[in-house]
Amino acid sequence: MATAALRLTGVSVGYSGTPVVTGVDLELRPGQRLALVGPNGAGKSTLIKAVLGLAAILEGTATVLDRTPARARALTGYVPQTGNLDPDFPVSVRQVVMMGRYRQLGWWRPARAADRRAVAEALDRVGLADRAGHRFGLLSGGQRQRVLLARAIAAQPRLLLLDEPFNGVDAVSQEAIVRVLRELSAAGAALVLSTHDLAVARDLADLVCLINGRQWAVGTPAETLTAKPLRQTYGSSAIDLADGRMVLVEP
Amino acid sequence: MIEPFTVPFMGRALTEIALLALICGPISVFVFVRRLSFVSDALTHTVFPGVVVGFVAGGMDGLFTGALVAGVLTAVVLTVLTRSARLTDDAATAVVLTAMFSIGVILVSRRTSYTSDLTAFLFGRLLTVTPRQISETAVLAAVILIALAIGARALTFRAFDPAGAAAAGLRIGRLDLWLNILLALVVVAAVRAVGTILVVALLVVPAAAARMVTDRLVPMAVAGTGLVLAAGYFGLLLSWTASLRYGVALTSASAVVLMLVLAYVLLLPLRRWRDRAFTGRPSPHELVG
Amino acid sequence: MNWWDDVMHRAVAEVVLVGALTGLIGVQVVVRRLSFFTMALTHATFPGVVAASIIGVNLLLGGVVTGAVVALGVAALTRRRGQDAAAATGVLVSGGFALGAALVATQSGFSRDLSSFLVGSILTVSASDLVVTVAVLAVVALVLVFCARPLLYAGFDPVGARASGIRAGGWDVVLLLTIVLVVVTVVPAVGTILALSLIVAPAAAARLWSDRLPVATVLAATFGVASGLAGLWVSSRWNVAAGASISLAATAVLVLSWGLRRAVRA
Repeated sequence: MATAALRLTGVSVGYSGTPVVTGVDLELRPGQRLALVGPNGAGKSTLIKAVLGLAAILEGTATVLDRTPARARALTGYVPQTGNLDPDFPVSVRQVVMMGRYRQLGWWRPARAADRRAVAEALDRVGLADRAGHRFGLLSGGQRQRVLLARAIAAQPRLLLLDEPFNGVDAVSQEAIVRVLRELSAAGAALVLSTHDLAVARDLADLVCLINGRQWAVGTPAETLTAKPLRQTYGSSAIDLADGRMVLVEP
Repeated sequence: MIEPFTVPFMGRALTEIALLALICGPISVFVFVRRLSFVSDALTHTVFPGVVVGFVAGGMDGLFTGALVAGVLTAVVLTVLTRSARLTDDAATAVVLTAMFSIGVILVSRRTSYTSDLTAFLFGRLLTVTPRQISETAVLAAVILIALAIGARALTFRAFDPAGAAAAGLRIGRLDLWLNILLALVVVAAVRAVGTILVVALLVVPAAAARMVTDRLVPMAVAGTGLVLAAGYFGLLLSWTASLRYGVALTSASAVVLMLVLAYVLLLPLRRWRDRAFTGRPSPHELVG
Repeated sequence: MNWWDDVMHRAVAEVVLVGALTGLIGVQVVVRRLSFFTMALTHATFPGVVAASIIGVNLLLGGVVTGAVVALGVAALTRRRGQDAAAATGVLVSGGFALGAALVATQSGFSRDLSSFLVGSILTVSASDLVVTVAVLAVVALVLVFCARPLLYAGFDPVGARASGIRAGGWDVVLLLTIVLVVVTVVPAVGTILALSLIVAPAAAARLWSDRLPVATVLAATFGVASGLAGLWVSSRWNVAAGASISLAATAVLVLSWGLRRAVRA
């Protein structure tokens, strides 16, 4: 049983033959949480898309739950950044979460009680059961992020990938998301989340991967979130404080 | 190759196009960077009721005033509608376009020479341009170019970074109105002579084609002007040859448009090649964002 | 005398069918912001129709083939987002029409003249035009009902859709082709301008009333049919161009909806 949820060996990923991230080596077991940490444009989103089979793997091998990324899609879930979605789109919160069940439902078979229950439960877990009938675009940024998380949960994935889930998210939503993520991994799901927030990575992750064009370090937060690898990853925007801690200054 | 243009009406047609080339090179750059193709298309249709009302009220002289009023009115309405959400930009533009055009059609459908009016509006009368129309175009061209030169810096800032421009104290609403009114003026200056089809092409194609060759704004405007001149020359020549040699009644406006579009299509592969040759690896921001 | 032999009866039937058809697809057009693409299609299919008439094949076929080429071209271009897509659509509008007009110029005896291309000729629909419209209406309704889920997911969140195994790009092409089919069917009867008007205005009005796609779609179809009938009545009552009065009726529905919504909220 205890096979890896995600194994990347010497992986380079990119678009149309151009590498964005190179030399990624890591292994994530079920129930573990991995944080991809790096500055904007480091290639975190591209790496996530490669694990979903949406960006090309140029070198190395990627194994997702013992399958190739494209074949593992039925078992993976994905939470995109909300900023790319059209807030005017006429779609209700319940409909968005139901999208998570489309794979089981097929094109047109009507939703059954089990599907509706899964949707309601997922919404309940992220604390938005009372918003089911609202239009998605009317929610706040943090609530939209929670709806997308609920959509991913509704599909019951064994590997969940989240792209900057805490970007522009209010404190209440952040707390709700963190709680749900801990519950999910306690139940055995593996999680990958990208972030540029070191505090989030330190608190939440079992494993941290520092990337910026290439992988600079991988290991526990205590091993990786230290001066040397951070300076390598962030360059001049990492500044040492006198007491041995680091701060990052986004240029 | 020069000979056809010694005939007075051909010479005048080429002069008119040359004047329009001067305006359309620069203004099409703004149409391109602000993605105003649809707005340009809408403006060419919405001046139609103005043209009709103007003609009915004041004959050939009223035509110009009517078009001017309708054009400026559309510019204002479009600016207001697209800024007040609830209706998306493109839907609002489509509705204004179809509604205004329909008003024009209803007005002409009460008259007998219905179809010939419409055809003239579509294709213009490039070959019957009068010296007076040329001088009107020249005056409008001067006005438009001066207004564009005054606003160019602010308009560019707004096109590139609306939030930054607003933060820097620029009035976005007024800038948008400014550009839309300038577009309306171009349409008014050109539509009677060259027809709606050619006006849309003149507003959209030059910069879009020039973009294949350069990504800097001023060279884009210059290349756009050059392209319109070339397309005008060869288009008129084509239409002349087609009707004289082969008896095909190819309207001169269509011929010029086809030349412009041909240039665009021929330049398309160049853009591909340039992208590959110069940028090398695309910036990660572009791919990830 | 057969009921269908009356010109006005056929016109009424066509207006009802076209109103329903444009309403159905209109909501997708408005939600996905494809108005300009639709405008471009109305113009870009023109040379295809003319060419088909010159070589003597079915006009609808000529239109659909050209439209499909255009739709695929636009789909390829919109992958590289930014100014290029808008500009390319603009090039299609002017280029398509100019090419069509040039083709018309080579034929001295081409029956459908240019102005009827713009404003259509609803009063000359034949019984076979009606049959074609019914068939297309059925096809479009089936596509929208049976493919509702993938169309919705791909439209709302293309990356998320792809991550869950839905080919978003492919579904976009399905939608664009459906729009092509509607445009090609509707333009000969009602003209380019009215086609655009009937596709966009009732759907935009419906969107003001409902955030639910199915509700908005039914509303849009109703508004489309109502504007068609109202416009036709105005046209026969005061003897003005039918296409233009229908288009203005559709605009009136939108303006009224806008005003009523504001009044309701305030």
